[in-house]
Amino acid sequence: MHELSIALEIIELAEEALSRHGGERVKAVYIQVGPLAGVTREALLFSFGIACEGTTVEGSSLLIQEGEGMDLDILRMEIEP
Amino acid sequence: MSRPEISRPRIVEVRERVLKQNDLLARELRSQFRLAGTRVISMVSSPGAGKTSLLERTLTILGPLRRVAALVGDLATENDANRLQRSGVPVKQITTGTVCHLDASMVSAALADWDLDSLDVLFIENVGNLVCPSSYDLGEDLRVVLLAATEGEDKPLKYPTIFNTADIAIITKIDLADAAEFDRNAAHRHIQAVRPGMRVFELSSKTGAGMDAWIAYLNEGRS
Repeated sequence: MHELSIALEIIELAEEALSRHGGERVKAVYIQVGPLAGVTREALLFSFGIACEGTTVEGSSLLIQEGEGMDLDILRMEIEP
Repeated sequence: MSRPEISRPRIVEVRERVLKQNDLLARELRSQFRLAGTRVISMVSSPGAGKTSLLERTLTILGPLRRVAALVGDLATENDANRLQRSGVPVKQITTGTVCHLDASMVSAALADWDLDSLDVLFIENVGNLVCPSSYDLGEDLRVVLLAATEGEDKPLKYPTIFNTADIAIITKIDLADAAEFDRNAAHRHIQAVRPGMRVFELSSKTGAGMDAWIAYLNEGRS
């Protein structure tokens, strides 16, 4: 169960990317997860929801698409405005 | 018809590995180890597969011959470090609190007051867990996965990722194989199915059976 650690990393990277791109709030984060990444989708979604509280990522949706092998990458984000 | 300007959400590309920071730090550690000439071997397994017993025996044998040390990870207690200290080599416990794996930053912090130049071999015993440690590179040269004969021969099929990210496998508690009705051939077959060509050792830290081959392997390529 290291999904909380993974969620925290995603949030940190998302916050960094947000400040790079000059947005105000993250609306959605798109990631890809390979079958061998050792990450459970449900546990990650649950952890993400809790961990992003109080950050600029709060309230955003985490959209997980199927990757290959050990893939575990942030692909893109939807930010506003 | 004009309408007020509304700012729309936009999509931005990110394309970054989620564990980028760990990977970068692990790469840094790896080059430090190389520079210092320290060979780093990490051990992963489920809890109770015999990492600490194997390490205790290994340190006791290697201790007088080479400059060895060990880092041991657990959620709580200094028990493993206390036990390994009996071998007479430097040992440091990393207690992770609630974290189910070691990561590169924990290793880096634990090594802060150790002089790598004075070490030939550093062992890192990961937290007992067959899932989470597979995602975290610790900068090690060699990752060893342990499978106890008492655990059943299908562990490699159940936890393919950890076997896939490891370099060699060790079947421990081989003295209990018969009592546990452990199917050796099946175990080897399952390991090869998830990691073709993987080198496998069989040993017993208790009786010492098979320890020679493991120690000889550790001494291979020694300068």
